[in-house]
Amino acid sequence: MREVSVIGAGLVPYGKYPEKTVADIAWPAVKQAIEDSGLEKKDIQAAYCGTALGGMMAGQRILKKLGITGLPIINIENACSSSSTAFREAYIAVGAGIYDAVLVMGVEKLTKFGGGTLPLEKEDWEVSHGLVMPALYAMRAKRYMHEYGLTEDQLAMVSVKARRHGKLNPDAQFREETTIEAVRQSRPVADPLHLFHCCPSGDGAAAVVICSAEKARQVSSDPIRVAGSEINSGKYMTGYRDMTTPEITVRGAKQLYEESGIGPEDVDLAEVHDAFAIAELLYYEALGFCAKGEAARLLEDGETSVGGRIPVNPSGGLLSKGHPIGATGVAQIVEVVRQLRGQCGDRQVEGAKVGLTHCTGGGVSGFDHGVCSIHLFSR
Amino acid sequence: MNDAAEDLKQALNIAGDAVRRESDGSVRLVGSECGDCKARVFPPSEVCCECMSENMTPLAMGPAGTLYSYSVVHAAPKGWSLPFIAAYVDMPEGVRVFAHIVDIDPADVVMDMPVEATIALLGTDEFGQPVESYAFRPAAKGGK
Repeated sequence: MREVSVIGAGLVPYGKYPEKTVADIAWPAVKQAIEDSGLEKKDIQAAYCGTALGGMMAGQRILKKLGITGLPIINIENACSSSSTAFREAYIAVGAGIYDAVLVMGVEKLTKFGGGTLPLEKEDWEVSHGLVMPALYAMRAKRYMHEYGLTEDQLAMVSVKARRHGKLNPDAQFREETTIEAVRQSRPVADPLHLFHCCPSGDGAAAVVICSAEKARQVSSDPIRVAGSEINSGKYMTGYRDMTTPEITVRGAKQLYEESGIGPEDVDLAEVHDAFAIAELLYYEALGFCAKGEAARLLEDGETSVGGRIPVNPSGGLLSKGHPIGATGVAQIVEVVRQLRGQCGDRQVEGAKVGLTHCTGGGVSGFDHGVCSIHLFSR
Repeated sequence: MNDAAEDLKQALNIAGDAVRRESDGSVRLVGSECGDCKARVFPPSEVCCECMSENMTPLAMGPAGTLYSYSVVHAAPKGWSLPFIAAYVDMPEGVRVFAHIVDIDPADVVMDMPVEATIALLGTDEFGQPVESYAFRPAAKGGK
């Protein structure tokens, strides 16, 4: 595999755009990424599009608006990891020398479902019996609280921190701070989770341009190296499993750290899959930022806030920036690229050299998660 | 009581062969066990998820189980009776099942409590027909 770099990044402000089509939502992110890359659209040799619920051939529908057609366009569905999976596939194709420059995009329009919990596949047994994503995360939270003494106030602090970061991100869906009290008093969704413990339903798109490191040096003044890439599916387990340990993230992180030679102590910032507040705490531990049972302390000490030792979700994360699911993987990469370039203004992590993105996807019985993809970036 | 029994007769059983009522009135869940490698799975499957053998036989489980975790759910697609208590229940046969917990005040649910299988109305389907499936309730005092 040859080295691969990200040379262009684009993102549309997250929000609710019920009147727009998927293509209307996404093209500005694609245009922005290409213009940012220093390449022209004719230089793009292939495109990968991640969307979970955006319908058939979303990539073609988006790219025809910009006249980027006739090239291979690959559409990828992998739940909330759809576009992190698309990024991984594009990375492999460029790394293998099949293409020199590739576009990766992610898009989702959740307002078409009119709100509520994410629609899941009804063929799944647990879904057919009423399982919804908030309930799954809520059961993880309940067990973690039971075993490690996490308090409701500490759980709410995850959302408070997310909103504090989101306030500083002009692209975030939520740009107002909140309080522990307001989180705890928001509408109950699946106890112990209240509305503000849950990512919002919304629309958005993100795009990046990647190319070989050799080409990047020719066209870009500020290329960001892909320092590691992994994807796994969850392990199907019919028996008892420890819901306080996200096995797929633990396994993927270990694999990625070993392969890249970069350890958790080297990571300057991380964008992790905080679809629900409990998730962020589980991932501090799974990604090796603290020991098992110490996530709440890490949060309370401010170590995961911008200005702390290992800022997590400086973008506001899924809880505040938003979670148009198919867009999330690439959107996380856009944030890390901009952080490593020093372009993030008030939420900038000073001197950031190494960033991590972590994206999961769930909703299938018997798995911790169905999919998880983790990437490392460095300058 | 008669009305409830009447409702149960008309309700659509969404668990199919994965639940059965024994002659003594107790309710058991039915999974599968592999005749070759002894792996166990719920709901039933015609192929083994460990060794891919198709030599699968029914495995009756419960009625006793232990609550691993739960949540009182206030948001779910149309049709489910809200709020409901969602849970993972560990069966003594080594299999974990997702289920609703019924016949208990949510405030009285505690982790690791003993529960027993029952059949309960859980909501309605898209045509408004009542749906029933296996569920769990607090284990009878004294245990079985």
